[in-house]
This record gives sequence, structure tokens and C-alpha cells, in this order.
Amino acid sequence: MKPSRLLLLMSLAGAMPAASAAPPAHPDDFPTSGRVEYVLECMQKHDGKYEYLYKCSCVVDRIARALSYDDYVAMSVALRNQSLAGERGGLFRDAASVKDMAGKYKEIETGANKACAVPQR
Amino acid sequence: MSFQSRLTCLGACLALAAGAVSAADSDVARLTKDPKNWAMQAGDLNNHRYSELKQINSKNAKNLSVAWTFSTGVLRGHEGGPLVIGDTMYLHSPFPNKVFAISLEDQSIRWKYEPKQDPTVIPVMCCDTVNRGLAYANGKIFLQQADTTLVALDAKTGNEIWKVKVGDPKIGETTTNTPHIFKDKVLTGISGGEFGVRGRITAHDINTGKVVWKAFSTGPDQEMLMDPAKTMTWTDGKMAPVGPNSSLKTWQGDQWKLGGGTTWGWYSYDPELNTVYYGTGNPSTWNPRQRPGDNKWSMTIFARDLDTGMAKWVYQMTPHDEWDYDGVNEMILADIKVKGKPRKALVHFDRNGFAYTMDRVSGELLVAEKYDPVVNWATHVDMKSGRPQVVAKYSTDKNGPDVNTKGVCPSALGTKDQQPASYSPRTGLFYVPTNHVCMDYEPFQIEYTAGQPYVGSTLSMYAAPNSHGGMGNFIAWDAGTGKMVWSKPERFSVWSGALTTAGDVVFYGTLEGYLKAVDLNGKELWKFKTPSGIIGNVTTWEYKGKQYVGVLSGIGGWAGIGLAAGLTKGTEGLGAVGGYKDLAKYTELGGVLTVFALPER
Repeated sequence: MKPSRLLLLMSLAGAMPAASAAPPAHPDDFPTSGRVEYVLECMQKHDGKYEYLYKCSCVVDRIARALSYDDYVAMSVALRNQSLAGERGGLFRDAASVKDMAGKYKEIETGANKACAVPQR
Repeated sequence: MSFQSRLTCLGACLALAAGAVSAADSDVARLTKDPKNWAMQAGDLNNHRYSELKQINSKNAKNLSVAWTFSTGVLRGHEGGPLVIGDTMYLHSPFPNKVFAISLEDQSIRWKYEPKQDPTVIPVMCCDTVNRGLAYANGKIFLQQADTTLVALDAKTGNEIWKVKVGDPKIGETTTNTPHIFKDKVLTGISGGEFGVRGRITAHDINTGKVVWKAFSTGPDQEMLMDPAKTMTWTDGKMAPVGPNSSLKTWQGDQWKLGGGTTWGWYSYDPELNTVYYGTGNPSTWNPRQRPGDNKWSMTIFARDLDTGMAKWVYQMTPHDEWDYDGVNEMILADIKVKGKPRKALVHFDRNGFAYTMDRVSGELLVAEKYDPVVNWATHVDMKSGRPQVVAKYSTDKNGPDVNTKGVCPSALGTKDQQPASYSPRTGLFYVPTNHVCMDYEPFQIEYTAGQPYVGSTLSMYAAPNSHGGMGNFIAWDAGTGKMVWSKPERFSVWSGALTTAGDVVFYGTLEGYLKAVDLNGKELWKFKTPSGIIGNVTTWEYKGKQYVGVLSGIGGWAGIGLAAGLTKGTEGLGAVGGYKDLAKYTELGGVLTVFALPER
């Protein structure tokens, strides 16, 4: 377990500079429903406090500038389903391609949370 | 005039008489013929998942928008779909298996039913607490609860009419399948292949629940309702009787008692032949070294007489399974040309990666071809013996316990799991949701304990190497030639049941949560992001002149089982790998049915 954790840390650290580099051209194509969905869930995570209407909107706008909507959907699903149990969850946990998507999304969201003063939950 | 009226009477009286003859039959077959209804989980007796409705077509599907939504309030995986009969929708949920009767007029709840079930059933459900939906006949709704109780409810009030128990969760028996109504009977199966249960199906009287017959997948001939002289199977290039003790002699000792061969899939029924078709699951355990022999009749297509249960023919697809390629997937009945000749065919997309076309009258093997080119555990199916030609390096039996067999395609999830394909009589083609996933598989020695998982293997999965990088495809298949017509790559496995319509639209859902409409060439016409991943089956119906399309969202699949079972190590649960401790909070919405229609002009 320990070596793999170390590896994960190293790969995260390795990926950090890439994320802060100039983002690739993207369509900024999130539909309103996609943004609202994100904000609602994000507000819920922070006990429904009204200030998070603004903060969470800030986060999703940042994510939308970093990713196309299709990529965001796939990558956020990859992250969420890391926690699916059983054989089917293995599809998300085992596969390097999916773990990669999950990792990249987590990094982007963490960055956006930081910039928008949203504590990570 | 009087002569005329007598003639009319003759016609009417004949119709009446005909009605009287089939009075014992249920009304569901008739209800499925009206495309306004969606009266069975598969839409009809043939498992076609096809609708004659065409208000929504390949030109206007891009305009589809949300008409209404309904939340079940239950977390976890939502498989199956709603039934629609007249002005009422009947919808189920995963455990605790709630049932809702919903008015199509205003979506108000007419009645709600929630059975009391012992939650200790949850940890013995291998693959999440899914339920594949309700059945309807003669004013009754049938629910197959997780705890193996089969219950008939009054469709008007939700009151219980009768209840029977078909299994025992204490020894790992649970149920996830939809009840199937064929003629005057309700048929149901059993799950628990991971717990060493002995698979069977039972046929019940729809009015009383009384067991009419019960047929095991393994064991002595009389318990399998098999006639050694009359039950046929593909042997040496032709059909021949199975002979005595066809199951017993393929197991060591009395291992057949824990033999698996469960029956949680999608059955079909041909009224003309009075024959019911279904498949059986994996033999227990997953460790093949512990159960030498062909392990009959696990992994088998069964054709049985509906009235007596006697097996007419059988065909074992994966003798001596070494990879958990359950044979339970849907049996689709279609009259198609096979290699140029018109046939009453049965088409089956097996987990093992082969698509089988059988003559459903005789049981002859007509076509067996890979429906994903990456399938590698067997080179081909030998058409004379009907046996897959296993590649030695992918044989988890030859490699033995505690050896990691790498790069087996497909994974234990199969090239396709239970999520049912669709058949369009307009094109004669099959539209199939698939997995594009391979695995490393390591069996280990295991002792049987009643009610405990009897798995004996660990595995890890990944997207098929050297392909498009995604984990799924949605394909069109020609079962008459055994050839793929087109394949649309998907990022994740496609775990939603498909639907085709007379409007030449094909619908399916994705794990990202998209409901997609594609045309007959696989071109995407429209997609919509629903609240969660889709593992439900797409359905369509008409109400007050408007066509609707609906699908359940709510992923889970095998989710949550680790939590429910109190497991602390990732690998403790059934090949379960990794952490589930931080079960995602987003699932608070529960499962949602999203219903679409074309906007008013």
C-alpha cells in the first residue's frame, strides 16, 4: 500500500506544473443546466449557505474555462465512481485511463476551489 | 337482412368463442400489441424492446425536452424501467423495492407499496440491490422482491393479493429479475451464483401464486425436468438427445448442489411453440480448478414447454466456465434470414463475447461469432461440437489458483451484461450495448459456507488495449450473418437497455448520465444529461396523443455493498477492489425517472 501511495503523490506533484500552464483552447460550452446542477450540489455540500451561490458559481465557471462540457462530465463521473463498490466499481478504480481522468479532474476542481475560497469537501 | 345479421353474429360469436378458449390466458400479450402501452419490461414477449410509435423520429429527435421527472427517493443502482398501461405508470425501486402507481395525467401517486424486508438480505446481494422491474397481467402488478418474495398486488389499489417465497436469503438466495408473465403463468428465477446456490426457475399460477412447476439448472434429470430421450442438444453437428444424467456426470461428487446456474435474466416466450427461453449463470465457485467437468447445465440456453416445464432443448455456451461469463442475458426471438434462409431464430448476446443465433424450434446452432473483435479467451466456436476453442494462455484453470491470468477479454462483466439489446423488425438488425473491457483474473481456493460469498477469485479490469481507449461500444449487429454493421465508441461501458422505434430512432443511456438518440447508422441525433449514470432500460409510450420516452437514472450497480456488508478491506467483497468508504454524496437525489417529449409547436 505504501509504495503505491508514494507513487500517487509523486504523480500528482508531477502533474501540478502542467495544470498551471496555459489551458488549451476550449469552447466554454457548459449549458446553463450543467452550471446550475454543479452549483446546487456544491451549495448542498456546504450546508446550503447562500454565500456558496457565489462561490460555487465561481468554481464552475473556472472549471468550464478549463474543460469542455463533455470532458467535464466524463472526468467528474470518473472521480465520483471511484467510490462505487464491487466488481462494477472496479471498472472505474482499476482502469488507468479512468483513474487518470479522475485525477486530472480532482486537480482542476481543487484549483478552482482554492481560487474561489471554497473549502474542499 | 336477417341473413346479414346472422352472418355478423357468426363473426362476433366466433370471436367470443375464441376469447373464451383463451380465457385462461392473461391480457398482457394483447396489451403489448397496443404501442401506447409499455406492458412488459421488454415491451413484448419476444424481448424486442421495439415500439411502433413514430411521433418522435430521426428528424425531430433533436428537439426532445424534459416533460416531467419522478424521484424514487431510493439510492443505489436503478435497473429496469417503468410499465405503462392506459393512463397509469407502474414504477419500482431498488431495495426496499417500493412500487408506485403514477397517474400519467398529473403525475400524482395513485398508490404506493413498500414491502417490509429484512435488511440482512442486502449483504447477500452480489451486485447491488437492483431490481429489474415489475410485471402486469389481469389487473395485477407482480413484484419480485430482493428477499425472494414474489407478490401480486391489485393494480387499482396496491393491496396484496398473494405472496410466495421462492428462495432463502439465509443461504445466499436473492432475487433481482423481473417476473415474466407468459400466458396464464408468472415465471421467476433466482440470483446468488456467487453464494453457491442451486439455480432454477419456477412457474406460478397468476391467480394464486401456486407453483405449477419448478426446474433446476443442475442435478438429477427429474429435478431439471429433463427427458433423457427427448430433451435435445447440439451434438456432433446435429441435434441429439442429452441422454441420462447429463448434468450429474459433469460435476465431481455432489458439487452440483452448489452448482450456481442462476436465472436472473430476461426470458422470452413463443406462443406458437408454447416455449419459454432463458439462460443460466455461472457455475460456483469462480475458481474452476475446484469443479472439474463441463458443469452442466450452467451457462446454458434453455427452451422449455411453458405448460409442463419440460426441457425441449438446451445448449451450453461456456462449458466449465473459467471467467464468470454468466449465460443469463436476454433471449431475443426474431424471424430473420439466417445465411439466406428464413428461420424462427433465437438471438443471444452472451457475456462470453459470442453472439449466438439458434433455430428456436429445433435448438440447432446456426451462428456463433464474436461481437467485439477484442474477444480473445477463445479463437472461435467449433460449429460441429458447438464448443468454444479456449486459448490456453487465457485459461484460468490451466494456469491454476494463485496465478494471475492477464489480458483476458472480455472481463468478468462480459462483452455485455444483462442490459438488454433491442431488435428492429424494420431493419432486421440488433442494437446492442456493450463493454469493451479486459481483465486480469486470479482464482483462489475457497470453502463453501452457506450465506457467504463463494467466489474464489480476484480480478482487475481495464479498457481493451490497442483500441479507441474507451470502455464501451454501442453496436448494430446482423444475426443472420454474424457480422457487425456499425460500432459507436463510448468512453464508459454501456449498461443501459436499448430501445428502437418505428421512427427509426435508437435510444440508449450512458454511465455519464446521457440519454442518447442515434439514427439507424449510429449517428448521434441528440443527447441529454440526466442527473446520474444510466443503468436502466429506455421505454416509450403514448398518452393523449403524445409520445413519451423515459429512462431511470441512478447508478450504483454493485455500489454500497461493501458498506452494507461492513467490509473493511477493499478486496473482501466479491472481486470488489479498492475503497468505497467515501460513498459519493451526490446520490442524495436518489433514482430519477426522466421523461421526454417533443415540445408543443
